[in-house]
Amino acid sequence: MKHFKHPLAVLAVGALTGSATPALAEQAVLFQPWAAGIKVSNGPVQIVHGEKTYNGRVGAKLRVNDLVITGENGSVGLVFLDNSTLTMGPDSEVELKRYNYDPTTYMGAFDVFVKKGTVALQPGDLAESGPDNVSVTTPKAELKGNAKQLLISVGDAK
Amino acid sequence: MKSFIISAALIFLPILSGCATPPREYYAVSGDKGAMTVTSRDAGKPGKTTLDAANPVVMHDGDQPRAGDISAEQLRSRMTQALAAQPLPPKRFTLYFIEGSDILTTESKAVVTSIFDEIKQRPDPDLIVVGHTDRVGSIADNDQLSIKRANTVRQQLIKLGIDAENIQASGRGERSPLVPTADEVAEPRNRRVEIMVR
Repeated sequence: MKHFKHPLAVLAVGALTGSATPALAEQAVLFQPWAAGIKVSNGPVQIVHGEKTYNGRVGAKLRVNDLVITGENGSVGLVFLDNSTLTMGPDSEVELKRYNYDPTTYMGAFDVFVKKGTVALQPGDLAESGPDNVSVTTPKAELKGNAKQLLISVGDAK
Repeated sequence: MKSFIISAALIFLPILSGCATPPREYYAVSGDKGAMTVTSRDAGKPGKTTLDAANPVVMHDGDQPRAGDISAEQLRSRMTQALAAQPLPPKRFTLYFIEGSDILTTESKAVVTSIFDEIKQRPDPDLIVVGHTDRVGSIADNDQLSIKRANTVRQQLIKLGIDAENIQASGRGERSPLVPTADEVAEPRNRRVEIMVR
């Protein structure tokens, strides 16, 4: 395995120094196929995408309008494109209502709805360009601002 | 005797109201910096308060959002599983370019090996590739150049076997200099691509 590293590195260097740049790659608006990825997943975790429900395992991706649901003893950790992180404890439900992120200016909008359970949010680049970019709603309240870490508990915290 | 009745009432009131009211919500912030405005969504009982270092826990039980009846520490201890699911922080790497080009400096070629080593450490690696320029040239030209640099690196990482869906490339132009300079100053340390392995 050690020997494998070196050919890979040589290949990497050779490829990166090649000056031919595909013209197609230069585009101002970049394709963002997803908003967040699951990096930590314990116990029962599901992603509801329209009519379909997926196993929320490590590697699963979250898109706008998706729900993330944890069951008994479930927990999950997500990382968004702007490096925001959102983690959920057991018996929790979160909907990603809006996610627009311009990585050049850091402008955009990040709205989540915490229906129930426990959620910790650490806003990323989006919070830097304006305190109103990040919004969390719960059944009872709306929260907006530029906190570095926000904890939410809706119902009986576990 | 009077004080005993009041004490008894204070003890039993939360228990009684706990049964009658809908689930309570708690919100907390940590750290000295930053604040959140908490606005009630109940149109019949509008209310607003600020969540910050001076008022670190707010609760909402159907009446008005107001200072919480538990500490931030108590709330944290009630949500240990959520807090324990925090992903690893991103690991950052920086590659430097020859002026006005998308060709890497010699020193930066070695960094590519470290990037691949980090990728192997992660259960589900995805990469964010961000191009930067110095302040020579217009903002629009630098936006283009920074995207070009990031895309060059992205394309090569895809060729090396990383799933295209898991590499996002973007350019910050001259907005995030490593070394702040006046406009039109050539600064090699700002001509770079940052790669976050997450």
